[in-house]
Amino acid sequence: MLVAACLLCPATLSAADAGEIARTVCAACHGLDGNSPDPAHPKIAGMDQEYLMRQLKAFADGKRRDETMSGVIVSLDPAVFAGLAAYYGPQKPKPGQVKDPQLAAKGRAVYEDGNTDTGVPACAGCHQSDGKGNARFPRLAGQHQAYTLKQLADYKSGRRATDPLMTTVGKRLSTDEAKALAEYIAGL
Amino acid sequence: MLSRCLPFMLLATLGCTVALASPPPEAWNAPYPEKTAALAAKGDPARGASAFEICQGCHRAGALGRPDGSYPRLAGQHATVLIKQLADVRSGRRSNEKMLPFADHQALTVQDIADIAAYLQALPVPPTQGQGPGTDLVQGRQLFERDCGVCHGQRGEGKGEQFFPRVSGQHYRYLLREGRLIRDGQRRNVHPEMAAAIARYTDEELDAVSDHMARLPVGGR
Repeated sequence: MLVAACLLCPATLSAADAGEIARTVCAACHGLDGNSPDPAHPKIAGMDQEYLMRQLKAFADGKRRDETMSGVIVSLDPAVFAGLAAYYGPQKPKPGQVKDPQLAAKGRAVYEDGNTDTGVPACAGCHQSDGKGNARFPRLAGQHQAYTLKQLADYKSGRRATDPLMTTVGKRLSTDEAKALAEYIAGL
Repeated sequence: MLSRCLPFMLLATLGCTVALASPPPEAWNAPYPEKTAALAAKGDPARGASAFEICQGCHRAGALGRPDGSYPRLAGQHATVLIKQLADVRSGRRSNEKMLPFADHQALTVQDIADIAAYLQALPVPPTQGQGPGTDLVQGRQLFERDCGVCHGQRGEGKGEQFFPRVSGQHYRYLLREGRLIRDGQRRNVHPEMAAAIARYTDEELDAVSDHMARLPVGGR
């Protein structure tokens, strides 16, 4: 289906084309409004557009790899990246759901205070207390637990190498801390 | 030794011949290109506030540090001191494994260092720093006034132009931690007179002088 979608891609792409690609290609995983219904795929609604652009380029350059996304990205003309970011960035993010409040409380402690013994910085330092991020650091609030966990694991393993600071953080976080953070972030 | 002296010989012909006899006193703060560039760059506090975001996860909002001494207060510190310490950490002249990834070349540019230092120097210093037990303040004051005040200032305000840090407003536990490292020869980028001043301090004396410093009024600059 993805290949078929790309065969339709024209050589030059307008904003309308980007919207069409978003609806026919991206929405299968990320949802029409960027609020992915599947916890394996990230919600991207409301994310900073420059951040979205950087990630698309990182997938295209191979600095970020993912079983699904790495396959999709090669079917896209890089000229459409800005249009895709402009499509999803302004979408309204939907809240996530905390399933284990006790775990979330542990996550809050790490999110707000870090771990001074292991040198984990507070997530809030960059991503803000409300998890909404800014132009430099991505929005985390409301993200699916499974997706957050996978990213932290991918930073740790080096599979995701888009940010050396997050590689350091991923390596310093314990598995329990990562789980707790993912739970807390879902509720932000 | 000679290679460390060469830059001085080029710059100041007299200074080095004296220094060759004993470790050059300048070695603790010898120039190297990146530090020199950061010191020469004009720091912008507004840009520094943004660049500092990657630091505040540990040093906290407002750069107030933590009373448990795990991360020092940086607010109100002299920009020169901050630049030297940051440049020393990332060039390996000061060991700090926790901080290194957040200070290395992937994390910060030279301009970022200058901007962050300008931002931090101008931050307010509230009197909320962590203090010690307060059991030996008389001795702490005597030691400080005898051994420390001449460089750090009797009010602990430091001397920015000489790279001597402000110690007032700093957390007691951080002062104690670094005091021990300096006394025990583990802070390699320290002024030799600083190391000599406390070389014979007992743990109790270090404790007393740290407690005194952490209680100095924070208004002094």
